[in-house]
Amino acid sequence: MIPAWLRTIEAYPERSDRSTFIERSILTFLGLLSRFRLPGTGKWVRINPPIALASTVLLILLLSLSRGALFISYTGALLLVILSLHRGEVILRVLKTSVPIAVFTLLVMLPSAVWGTSASLTTIPFKVFFSAAALRLLVENEPWGSILGGLRFFLLPRLFILVLDLTTRYLVLLGEHSLHMLYALKLRSVGRNSRKTASLAGIVGTLFLKSRRMAEETYAAMECRCFSGRYPAGRADRWSAADLAALAVDALTVFVFLTAGAA
Amino acid sequence: MHIPDNYLSPATCAAIAAAMIPVWTIAGRRVMKDVPKAGVPLLGIGAAFSFLVMMLNVPLPGGTSGHAVGGALLAVALGPWAACISLSIALLLQALMFGDGGILAFGVNAFNMAFVIPFLGYFVYRIIADRSASERGRIVGIVAGSYLSFNAAALCVAIELGIQPLLARGPSGLPAYFPYPLSISIPAMMVPHLAVAGVVDALFAGAVFAFLRRVSPGALYEGSGTRLRGTYVVLVLLACLSPLGLLASGEAWGEWGVETLRKLVGYVPSGMQPGFGFSSLFPAYVVKGLPGVLGTVASAAAGAAVLVIAFKLLGLLWRGRRRKARA
Repeated sequence: MIPAWLRTIEAYPERSDRSTFIERSILTFLGLLSRFRLPGTGKWVRINPPIALASTVLLILLLSLSRGALFISYTGALLLVILSLHRGEVILRVLKTSVPIAVFTLLVMLPSAVWGTSASLTTIPFKVFFSAAALRLLVENEPWGSILGGLRFFLLPRLFILVLDLTTRYLVLLGEHSLHMLYALKLRSVGRNSRKTASLAGIVGTLFLKSRRMAEETYAAMECRCFSGRYPAGRADRWSAADLAALAVDALTVFVFLTAGAA
Repeated sequence: MHIPDNYLSPATCAAIAAAMIPVWTIAGRRVMKDVPKAGVPLLGIGAAFSFLVMMLNVPLPGGTSGHAVGGALLAVALGPWAACISLSIALLLQALMFGDGGILAFGVNAFNMAFVIPFLGYFVYRIIADRSASERGRIVGIVAGSYLSFNAAALCVAIELGIQPLLARGPSGLPAYFPYPLSISIPAMMVPHLAVAGVVDALFAGAVFAFLRRVSPGALYEGSGTRLRGTYVVLVLLACLSPLGLLASGEAWGEWGVETLRKLVGYVPSGMQPGFGFSSLFPAYVVKGLPGVLGTVASAAAGAAVLVIAFKLLGLLWRGRRRKARA
């Protein structure tokens, strides 16, 4: 015999609830974690990290210093050629990062056409686009560890590099932790729940407490392993043909800048 | 609030980055002294924490969502010096990973978000919290500190952008970088930050702070007491004024006095004359000024590269569709 309460049809009218921010946060965190889990997928040729880093910064600096269409055109051609040598997935990721920034810049600069400064309307969005694409190409081609190691050549203190290294490692650990908390919040937020914002504060607060404890545990572990407060640097790779090619391109870039950068 | 590359002149970027170097050096030393138990790992893990906080979506009125910076909150939680380093590193990673903020403009972004926000936020919080022993006073402190410091940083961004037309000019005499003067950049930045973004950041900081006070009050940074105050006021005031200092130094060279300011108002018609700007990326397939051969080669290479990229992206689309059809 089925009891009476089991025979009644349960009506669950779904009421609108504000939970998009949970879903968006989950997606953002998943995207972040996936970037760390697939390092250096776009590897095309092996350029020594310090050279790759220095070349990228040089290109972005000269691009920023240049005062006209000619050098921007050269940079565009150079980046397009480098980009075309990559796989489709990498090209898509590079464009996904750089196109929105360029479009945003174009929108910001749009009123300046009325203002009479149309030059900034045509040059600055291109400059922003190429700078962002160059930086993204570097990140696609070099694994995180190498980029951090390459920073040594910019005379950054070793402490800074150690902190950066710790950051990237703990981003994954803390990111996974907060993802689990977001899943838990989503699972417990069925129906209308007006206390989600309070839970958000709880997530961030717990994340802070967790990071604090992790820091203390890591320091204890470092001391147990005879950490003396010194941070030795790693060895640099041997030079390859790709490095020489990168330096040749740098030389060409400087030459083009000197002859056409101001025009 | 993240300034991309090419909005600011490299000179502005270099000047503000140079001002940040002593701040970072002192911050590094202070953290080692203040937090001996957690030390270096706290900086790295704190940076990871601040990065994640900046990525978390916060609900906004109207059903949308946005991001909080949480800089003042970090300063109160970790101490302003540790927050300064942590936020700087989080900003560097954001620039590298997401293209949020440029690499040349990194020093400027660090100045606005890793220096002005944590120090001013912590200063306001201490003033209010020290004068009221109650729990509510502390929460009012963090909310006020968060709101004021967030908007002060937005003002710094507006000033840094707004002085660009005065600092750098192209060969045609038009602004080479950000083209709008202070009279436009300040209201454009401040209205949305005062009305929405600052409020969201302050409420977010207040909620997280209340949670931490309830759950684990001992985990928050206690600070080194009263001796911070006097120096903080001077430091923060200087910080907020320093972008204006750039402008003042420009005046001192005598290159842009009243005459240039008069020109600034008068450049509207001259900009409308033909000859400035360019209509296509590769005018007539030859990049003028370069040796002719190089220009032609560059144009041809770029054209071929665009075709290759287009085909690779089409291939990607096609493969994706086929995979979907098979599934």
